[in-house]
Amino acid sequence: MLEIEDVTVRFGGVVALSAVSVRFDKAVNGIIGPNGAGKTTLMNVLSGFVTPASGRVVGDGEALLPLAPHRRAHWGLRRSFQKEEIADDLTVFENVLVQIDHSRSPARTKTAEVEAMLALVGMADRAGKRGAALSGFERRLTDVAKCLVGKPRLVMFDEPAGGMSVDESRQLGRLIRQIHGTTGAQVLVIDHDVELIRSICEDTLVLDFGRRIAFGPTAEVLDDPRVKAAYLGTEEV
Amino acid sequence: MRHLFHVTPSGWAGLATAAFGILVLPSLASSYWLSVFTSMGCFLLAIAGVAFMYARLGMVSLTQVGLMGVGGWIALRLNHAFDFPFEVNLALAATATMIFGWILALPALRMRGLYLALVTLMAAGGLEIIFATFQFPNGGAGFWGVQTGSGAAFRRPWIAQSPQAYLRYVIACALLGFLCIELHRRLQPGRAWALIRRSEAAAMAAGVNVTLYKTWAFGIAGLLGGAAGALLAGSLGLLDDGTFRASESVMIFALAVVGGAHSWQGALIAAVLYKVLPALLNIWGVDANLAFVIFGAGLLHAVITAPQGIAGQVLEGLGRLSPKRGAKDA
Repeated sequence: MLEIEDVTVRFGGVVALSAVSVRFDKAVNGIIGPNGAGKTTLMNVLSGFVTPASGRVVGDGEALLPLAPHRRAHWGLRRSFQKEEIADDLTVFENVLVQIDHSRSPARTKTAEVEAMLALVGMADRAGKRGAALSGFERRLTDVAKCLVGKPRLVMFDEPAGGMSVDESRQLGRLIRQIHGTTGAQVLVIDHDVELIRSICEDTLVLDFGRRIAFGPTAEVLDDPRVKAAYLGTEEV
Repeated sequence: MRHLFHVTPSGWAGLATAAFGILVLPSLASSYWLSVFTSMGCFLLAIAGVAFMYARLGMVSLTQVGLMGVGGWIALRLNHAFDFPFEVNLALAATATMIFGWILALPALRMRGLYLALVTLMAAGGLEIIFATFQFPNGGAGFWGVQTGSGAAFRRPWIAQSPQAYLRYVIACALLGFLCIELHRRLQPGRAWALIRRSEAAAMAAGVNVTLYKTWAFGIAGLLGGAAGALLAGSLGLLDDGTFRASESVMIFALAVVGGAHSWQGALIAAVLYKVLPALLNIWGVDANLAFVIFGAGLLHAVITAPQGIAGQVLEGLGRLSPKRGAKDA
């Protein structure tokens, strides 16, 4: 379970997040909002790339904010970026192995785990391919496999379906839905693709101008007039 | 585990070049060229360190020749203060330079790109002043160990007393340096460095301790620089502060870019340009400063047309000529 309490982030005079509180306890959760709403900032707070002015973040009972970013990864936090970050000169296998390199498990166990997750995302046959030779979708699948290894507790996707075809987006959605069952990790997804969010997320948080404007079951949240107003604007009469 | 000892075609070519350098080159070279090639071998090791940091992490270090000076100073100091064999002095000098490099780099490693380059350049400037002020130990008394007049003798490795044997020794050390870099590249640090170069944020999200691995890389560059300095001290028996000016650090970094930082061939080209080209110009009776003009042209060439350096361009050309590629294209 992930609890975010009164998290406020300021960049100079701009308040990027204003006392945001939310408790994610479902397997797959979404965060949506218009551009500049603070979605990625919230993800950066969880990752440790942005230090909030105030607030608390507790994951499975453990305070995450005092941990350095790489320590959060050791704790079980996984993060996929808007642009998939795959090293061009490493193979698919090595790109995934990096995520559990710090683990003290025997090399054979790590290899088996990487192979299993590559098979799950459908990249086992391309494990020896270099990052530079991968298509955008293959890079994203490798990124997903990277998020699945090493007993993750919280997996975060930042606009994972950006630039994908409808079929690829659906395949990705199916994979994201499998994560909790396969690894036990909670999943947090940011995306502009409302259909993707509607199809995979149980609960959804809506941010606008750094404030929480709605949170709850996805279908209800998406029908909320305030959410529609945030996305589409209000009609002036 | 198998991939750890897999020798690529480029690896075989490197081993063959080292074998040529060890078995054939010393018996062909005159005493002038023995001295030039030995010096080139020492700088090859230092260039390998600076090129590796640039290629693996995109980190620009402009203090490598200064670190060579530190290694050389320590080796000379140990040689004149104790009766340790050369190998012990070499190992201690390289290790101490690695630690010195860490201390120097730790505050700077949180910086990126230009800032790290500037901090290392300032360090090189500081070292230049220290070397010019205190000179290198030559058997005198006290901490700085400098005496006027001729210096005390320097003990070479017992297996490499002659200039020919010492050239072999230096080439073997350079080979070990390249193997050390390649071993790291194939293991956990190499994977971490690849991800750090891609994006520090992505590396942190993957659990990589970015500061640790950047420091590690700087330490390896320091280790190789220190060993190179100690080997140069062994070659000449004494060192001159003029060798370790900050401008030389800038020069070997620029030449590493010209040669190609991503491969051993590039480091070798850089070392040849740095040491062999001026020696050739000298023999031909041409002003050795012409080398700077050639270096400048080479740098322009690399920046405009060859981001992987001359070595990258040549290897790409050879790749196009290979029958496998030809068949594929057909």
